[in-house]
Amino acid sequence: MSYEMIALLMFAAMMLLLFSGQRVFGAIGFVAVIAALVLWGERGGFDIAFSQSIKLMRWYPLLTVPMFVFMGYILSESRIADDLYRMFHVWMGGLRGGLAIGTIGLMVLISAMNGLSVAGMAIGATIALPELLRRGYDKRMVTGVVQAGSSLGILVPPSVVLVLYAMIARQPVGQLWLAGVIPGLMMAAMFIVYIAVRCRINPELGPVLSKEERNLPLREKYALLLAGLLPLGVFFAMMIPFVNGWTSLVESSAIGAITAFIAAVLKRRMTWDVFETSVRKTLGITCMFMWIILAALAFGAVFDGLGAVKAIESLFTERLGLSPWMILILMQLSFILMGTFLDDTAMLVIVAPLYIPLVGALEFDLIWYGVLYTITTQIAYMTPPFGYNLFLMRAMSPPEISLGDIYRSIIPFVAVMVLALVTVMVFPQIALWLPQTVYGN
Amino acid sequence: QSTIKWRMQTYAGAALAEHVVKPAIDTFNKIAGERMQIELFFADQLVPTGELFQAMQRGTIDAVQSDDDSMASPTEVTVFGGYFPFGCRYSLDVPVLFNQYGLKEIWDGEYAKVGVKHISAGAWDPCHFATKDPINSLADLKGKRVFTFPTAGRFLSQFGVIPVTLPWEDIEVAVQTGELDGIAWSGITEDYTVGWADVTDYFLTNNISGAWIGHFFANMERWNELPEDLQALMMVCMEQSHYYRQWWYWGGEANLRVNGTKMKLTSIPDAEWAQVEAAAVTFWDEIAAESETKAKIVEIFRQYNADMQKAGRPYRYS
Amino acid sequence: MRGFIAAVDAVNRRLGRAAMYIIFVMMAVLLWSTISKASSQPSLWTLEVAQFCMIAYFFIGGPYAIQMGSHVRMDLFYDNWSVRRKAITDALTVFCLMVYLVVLLWGGISSTAYSLGYFGSEPLGFFADLMFGDGQVGTMERSRTIWRPYLWPIKTLMCLGILLMLLQAMSELCKDILRLRGEEV
Ligand code: NA
Ligand code: NA
Repeated sequence: MSYEMIALLMFAAMMLLLFSGQRVFGAIGFVAVIAALVLWGERGGFDIAFSQSIKLMRWYPLLTVPMFVFMGYILSESRIADDLYRMFHVWMGGLRGGLAIGTIGLMVLISAMNGLSVAGMAIGATIALPELLRRGYDKRMVTGVVQAGSSLGILVPPSVVLVLYAMIARQPVGQLWLAGVIPGLMMAAMFIVYIAVRCRINPELGPVLSKEERNLPLREKYALLLAGLLPLGVFFAMMIPFVNGWTSLVESSAIGAITAFIAAVLKRRMTWDVFETSVRKTLGITCMFMWIILAALAFGAVFDGLGAVKAIESLFTERLGLSPWMILILMQLSFILMGTFLDDTAMLVIVAPLYIPLVGALEFDLIWYGVLYTITTQIAYMTPPFGYNLFLMRAMSPPEISLGDIYRSIIPFVAVMVLALVTVMVFPQIALWLPQTVYGN
Repeated sequence: QSTIKWRMQTYAGAALAEHVVKPAIDTFNKIAGERMQIELFFADQLVPTGELFQAMQRGTIDAVQSDDDSMASPTEVTVFGGYFPFGCRYSLDVPVLFNQYGLKEIWDGEYAKVGVKHISAGAWDPCHFATKDPINSLADLKGKRVFTFPTAGRFLSQFGVIPVTLPWEDIEVAVQTGELDGIAWSGITEDYTVGWADVTDYFLTNNISGAWIGHFFANMERWNELPEDLQALMMVCMEQSHYYRQWWYWGGEANLRVNGTKMKLTSIPDAEWAQVEAAAVTFWDEIAAESETKAKIVEIFRQYNADMQKAGRPYRYS
Repeated sequence: MRGFIAAVDAVNRRLGRAAMYIIFVMMAVLLWSTISKASSQPSLWTLEVAQFCMIAYFFIGGPYAIQMGSHVRMDLFYDNWSVRRKAITDALTVFCLMVYLVVLLWGGISSTAYSLGYFGSEPLGFFADLMFGDGQVGTMERSRTIWRPYLWPIKTLMCLGILLMLLQAMSELCKDILRLRGEEV
């Protein structure tokens, strides 16, 4: 059997097992070790899986994963975000669709202090969504708002996805994070424009808040504004020492986690319940991540041993004779396609190692591609039928929102995200200007 | 008759391997043709560098290119691989030490004990500091987090250097993320080739060793299974790889010091650097005290350097 | 069977709940790393200790994460299945998970034997000799860092974690069998 055939067989077997609903790491790991045993037998078949755990141990940026996840849970469990939400509520309520726009603003701030989209989703679904529905906002629009907004979590730094991308692409995390800032804000702005335009055309989608609800004494209004400073404070406490080189990446992530924890204590939100839940859920998510990566590394090593990456590269460039841009566009399309049926973490750890070296070989900028990659993953997360965000949303949202609503709600937002993706593709400077300016080269 | 397939992993990343190993393997594959093919993998690709040795013993990988130190081989000779402080002045010292001063026999024996075939030893570049901040005195070294070889790190730590060990492929990023302040791992040729010159600004001309000692190894069983002519072919190709490095580094070091634009050269004055050389004498004694084999090897290094000193120019100038 | 489930779940739950606080050890170590760097006496051991903690965190925490249902599944179809169908499928596919864990464990055992200076191909015999016979440890593997810690403690811990994962997988299998018998779990 040719190596290409084996590679294909491995991929097919993995997909089949994944569909059976077994835990993702078990499915990936099983295919990896069976392939290793069949191919290498006694000569390494038994060792390749475990030796990946040493590789994992030495991948120091992975230390940031529990830190950023913990930050996110502190933020959502302690309900620090309630004040933030009230701030946007009071300040933006006077606009048509103002609360929805405020929710996007809320999501941007939340994104600045957590590394995954889960926290944003949790806060959006539990705090913002019920309030929006109570005030007569269109349920499909606001469901989309929460999902789209929470996807900013992995584009705006800190971002766990960009850390993993950095590890795979061997690119500096600092530059990748900075590269995500402007596209992230641009995407938020595009969401806001979309909401504003739709609510102008059809005011029923996002009614204006009543005068009584908005009429707070000016002092209180300004006091609420201070709530917005908290996430920004945590963000800068973490980013300033990092960008200046005073602390390393993993040290910064610990500072971020500690700062968020202290903030919650000072705001008197750190009850035992909040504490226990955050710590426990952080363990759950981190274990999920690490075990999948461990299995995927074994899968990747076998794939590498087969020379599958080289085979794909030669397929694209030599046999099909495609130009670099055509290959890039094809890759983005296949990514979105795969995202519709492949689990997000599996996509990250299995598909990315195949594609990223190819992008490098085609001499595209890997920092820029990191941003494209992240936006594409976000789109994949929210496109039916499969999508981490879709399922989370269903689990967290109020009962009157059906799965059908969720599926339909994201269509316009996905369109906006595709537009953002194309924009960054055509104008790479949107991503590259900030890292080039800060790191000066 | 089916093609014999071997997997070889080098401790060098892709960009460096393009020079230091790939040409030799390509040549081998071209000549051996249908009879045998070696698939080459780069640093940390199949297994992490720290696990390279185990992987070769078990046969996960059939052959390895590495120094003893980086892959932490469980032998008496580990500390001498990579950069043994002030052991060598020039890259030609390495083949002479192995072929004329008896190191080859010691290495063969030590590796055979743990089931590994030592194919041949070769020299690479001298060991210099590449840093983000300029180094003009020993005091400037204090507190610098530096990626270096384990033994070199052990030696340098007495001057306040903080040795950090990370996967080779992560070094460039680690300098940018602040995990590292610099690198003491190679000469200037490698700094330019692998991209480290893009993330550091200064190159210290003083070195702690003039030549790296590294080897090609193979799993003993796999080696014994090969027909004699393929064994011979492999040895020749590996010698070719050693030879390529001799001129590639020798010319490259001079050329980039003179014509390179990415790094500024700095130096620690000779009188001050003499402290480091003196410390090496003590360090050699410490190593020699650890075991009989080590004492024997240290004695060979002493003898060799004394002979070179007596021979005078062009072997030694001071 | 219920006894086995209860015992495994209880042990893994306790260990997992202890492991979940390791995140604070990691924070403290990394904070100390920052402080020691600021005072220009950077510590040599911080990064590596943090890495060891991370390994302990998710290897020992892994089985508890299974109990909590944190290990994601691709659940487009799975979610819509009946309890019975889920139990049947899981009872079959959990063997895939077990195969992975067994191979992982085998690799872990031989790597641990290596870290104690055993270079042969029968690690179990080596451990047996070590414990009951006159076996001796050889050149013990040390980390390549300047701190040079011995690696057998962390490798032993990893083996323990994998073993606990395996036990948890068996416990899940037993639960599925009970479900198939129509019993309440
Ligand atoms: Na974020
Ligand atoms: Na999807």
